[in-house]
Amino acid sequence: MKLIRWAVVALSVSIAAISGNAQKSGPWDQPAAALADQIAGILGPGQARFTLRNLSTISSESVSAIQALLERDLKAHGILLAGDEGANVVRVTLSENTRERLWIAEVAEGAITQVAMVETGPIAEQHAVSTTGLTLRAQTVLTSRQPVLAALETPGGWIVLEPEQLVLYLRAADGFHAQSRADIGLKRTLPRDPRGIFRADVSPTQFNAWLAGVECKGPTSPGQPPAEWTVACHSSDDPWPLTPATSLASAEIMENIRVNPVTGFYNASRNYFTGVLAPSTIADMPPFYSFAEVPRSVGAVAWLIGSIDGRVLLFENGSLKPIAGARDWGSDFAVLHSGCGSGAQIVASSSGEAAPDSLRAYELPALEAIPSSAPLEAGGIVTALWSAPDGRSILAVVQRATDQYEVDRVSALCN
Amino acid sequence: MFRRFAISCVLLVCALPAVARTRPHYGGALRVETAGDPWQLPDGFARRLVFDGLTRIDANGSVQPALAVGWETDSGDHRWEFRLRSSVRFHDGSSLTATAVVASLNLTCNGNCPWTAVHAVGSSVVFTSDSPMPNLQVLLAGDEFLIALVVAADGTTPPGNIGTGPFQVASSVNGVLSLKANEASWQGRPFVDTIEIRAHRAIHDQWLDLSLGRADVVEVPVEMIRQAQQQKLKIAMAPHVELLALKTVEFGALANPMVRGAIAFSIDRGAIANVIFQKQGEVTASVLPQGLSGFACLYPTDRDLSKAQSLRGGLTVPTLTIAAESDGVMQLAAQRIALNLHEAGLNAVVAAQGPNSARADLTLRRFPLAGTDPSAVLDEVLRSAGDSLLVADANPTSLYKAERSFLDQHTLIPLVDLPRAYALGPRVRDLHLIAEGLPDLAGISVEDAP
Repeated sequence: MKLIRWAVVALSVSIAAISGNAQKSGPWDQPAAALADQIAGILGPGQARFTLRNLSTISSESVSAIQALLERDLKAHGILLAGDEGANVVRVTLSENTRERLWIAEVAEGAITQVAMVETGPIAEQHAVSTTGLTLRAQTVLTSRQPVLAALETPGGWIVLEPEQLVLYLRAADGFHAQSRADIGLKRTLPRDPRGIFRADVSPTQFNAWLAGVECKGPTSPGQPPAEWTVACHSSDDPWPLTPATSLASAEIMENIRVNPVTGFYNASRNYFTGVLAPSTIADMPPFYSFAEVPRSVGAVAWLIGSIDGRVLLFENGSLKPIAGARDWGSDFAVLHSGCGSGAQIVASSSGEAAPDSLRAYELPALEAIPSSAPLEAGGIVTALWSAPDGRSILAVVQRATDQYEVDRVSALCN
Repeated sequence: MFRRFAISCVLLVCALPAVARTRPHYGGALRVETAGDPWQLPDGFARRLVFDGLTRIDANGSVQPALAVGWETDSGDHRWEFRLRSSVRFHDGSSLTATAVVASLNLTCNGNCPWTAVHAVGSSVVFTSDSPMPNLQVLLAGDEFLIALVVAADGTTPPGNIGTGPFQVASSVNGVLSLKANEASWQGRPFVDTIEIRAHRAIHDQWLDLSLGRADVVEVPVEMIRQAQQQKLKIAMAPHVELLALKTVEFGALANPMVRGAIAFSIDRGAIANVIFQKQGEVTASVLPQGLSGFACLYPTDRDLSKAQSLRGGLTVPTLTIAAESDGVMQLAAQRIALNLHEAGLNAVVAAQGPNSARADLTLRRFPLAGTDPSAVLDEVLRSAGDSLLVADANPTSLYKAERSFLDQHTLIPLVDLPRAYALGPRVRDLHLIAEGLPDLAGISVEDAP
C-alpha cells in the first residue's frame, strides 16, 4: 500500500517537474517546490487544510503568488487541499531573520506536529536615488569588507587604501577583483576615524598614498607579465597634498602654487589637518577636516575649508570668510566639474544622526552655498569624499554596515 | 520589520533638530551616570572601557578579533588556539603576553571555566576541553572573560583595574570613577580625553542631572522608556538585547516536568510585557528572538490555564519560592508570576532578596542576547542558565529542533525580549550601542570639544 502511495507521489513529482519547468519564472518557484517536497515527505498524499501567514517583508502581491505556487506544488505531490474538514493541517509561515528569509511549514497530523523549513536566501537591499533638480547619481564601483580610506582608479582597475594594506583590484568579466595585496607593515596605532589619500598625477604609472604617519609609493599595475606587486611604505610626517600638481590657482592666492601643489600637515594621532600649509600662506588656517580648490571668476580659484569647529570658510584674496548656507554640511566635501550651471559645484556630505548620510551639490556664487541638487541618499555613512582626477565625478566611500564598505562614483546630470 | 531588529542598534532621536554628521571631535570630558556599580558584571560601564577581551562582538553582532588577531579550532572543537595581537601593552606599560592572558582567565573563572585547561604556547593561548566548545570565540567576547593584569612585571599583584582598554583608571573619589584616554590603545586613542562615571545614582537623579547639563549619558530602564519619550529625551535604544526568563530547579516538586510545564503555561506574558514593562518588550516563548532565528513565531506565547491545570493534574505541589534578580521592576514581575501560578492552582511566594533567594525554586533573570549567530546566542544563554546544549548543525531546522527539545523540558521559561536604552545630552555625538545594547563609550565624541 505504502509502495503504491509513493509511486503516486513519484509520478506526481515527475509531472510537476515537467510542467513546472515550463512555468518556472519567479524567485519563489524553487523555495516553494522545496517546501512542498518537505511537506509531502512528512504528510504523504492525502487531504489537508492549508493556511499561510506572512511575517516577512514580502509584499502582499508576492504572498498571493507564493500561496498559488505552494498549492500547485502540494497538489503535484498528491496533497489535496481541503476546507475545514481536513484532518491534517499544513500551516505555512513566511518568516525572516536579520540575514535571510525562512519559510516554515507546521504539519499537524492529529496530535503530532512536525516542522519543515526552507531558507530562501538573503534579503535584497533597496537603494533609492534622487531624481529632481540637477541630479546626482551614484554608481558603486567597488565593495570591500575592510574599511576603505581612499581609492585610486588606474588604467586596469583600482588601488584601494585600507588601514593595514594596499589592495590592487583588476578588471574582470564580472567586475573588479582583488589581485594583489601589499601590507603597509609599519608597527603603528591608527587613530580612530583613520583617513588617507592618493595622488597619481606625477606619473601615470606610479602612485603615492598617505595615511596617518605613513607614506607609500608603488606602481599602478602589477607589470607584464603579472609579477609581485611591490609597494614601499615608510614613516612620514611630511604634509599631504591638498591640490593637484597642475593646480589652477591664480596669483590671487599665491603665484608659486601654479607648479607646486598645496600641501597640509596632517595630525597623525587625530583625524584632521593642523591648519599649517606648505608653502605657507599669508593667513593662518584653522585646523580643518576638508580642503577643496574652488573655481571662482575666470581663471581664479579659492580654497574652501571645513574647519573642525564646524564652520565652512573660504580663503580668497588673502582672507578667510565664513560661508553661509553650509549649516547642514558634514565634514567632507569635494568639487565636481559637472558642466552644469556655473560649471562646477561643491558636493557635500550631510545628514542627521538618525538617517543615512546624503550627498548634495551646491553652487557657491558668492559667500553663500546654494543647493543645486536634491540630496542623494548615500545608503550609509559617508566616510571619505574626494574629486576624481578628471574632476568630472567625485568618489565617495560609504560604510553601509560595520563590515560593508563601498566606493561610489557620483556624477551629475544637467537638467 | 525584522531586518531592523535588535543587533544593529536603533538611535531614536526625539525632539532635537537633526545635526549634520561631521567627523568626530577629539577632546573633552564625557559624564556618565549609572544606578549600578561601574565594575559590576555583567554590564558595568567601566569594564568595557578598561579591559579588552580576546574577541569582541561588533555592532552587527558578529565576532571580531580583539586582543586575539585570529583563531583556529581542531579536534572537533575540543582544542582552540588564539593568536595574540603583538605590541599590545597594559596600562602600566607591561606587554600583553599569552602567560598574562592565561593568568587572567584562570583567575576569572576560578576553576569553573567552560574549558578544561588553558595554556600559553608562545604568543598563542590554547584552550582544551573534554567536551566540544563550538562557540568559544563568541564566549570569550563576554564581559566575564575580559583580560586584566593579575601579575605585575616585578611579580607583585597589581590593582585589579589594569587592562589594555581604551581608557585607564585615573582616580575613584566620592563615587566618581575618572578614566583617562589611553594614548597607546591598540584600537586608537579614544575621542574624549576623560570619562567620569558617577556610580549608584538613582534614575530620577540621573535624569535631573541630564536636564541640568551635568550628565551626558544616563540610563533609561525599560519600564521608563515610554516616559523618556514623552519627555522628549534623546534616546539611544537597542531592541531585544535581553531575554527575561524564569529558571526552574529540577529537584523537589519541580523534578516533575509536568509541574514545570504547568508553570510555563500558566504565565501571562502579555501582562508582564504590557503592564510591568510598559509595552516596551515583546512576549516570547523561545530563547532566540524572532529577528535572530526567524522561527520564534512557532512557539505559542498565549497563556493556557486549562493546559496548565491539566498538566498539574491532581498533584499537590508545595508552595514554591520565586526569586527575582535585582531591582523593583523584577520584583513586580515576580509577584505577577506568583499571581498567575495561583490562578493555575500552584502556590508561590516571592522571596525577599538576600542569601535565601539563591535557594528559590524559580528565579526570574535577564539573559543577554548578544550576537548574530543564533547557535552561539543559544549556547551562551543556556550556559548562563547552567544548562548546555550541543547543536550539531547550525541550519535553522537543526537549531529549531535543539531549542524545541530544550524548551520542552521547561527548565527555562522565556517570557519577554527586552530592549536597553540610554538618554543622551546634547553634547553627545556618535553614540553606538554594541551588541549587548551597552553604549560604546570609547567611540563617543562630544560636540563642544576644543
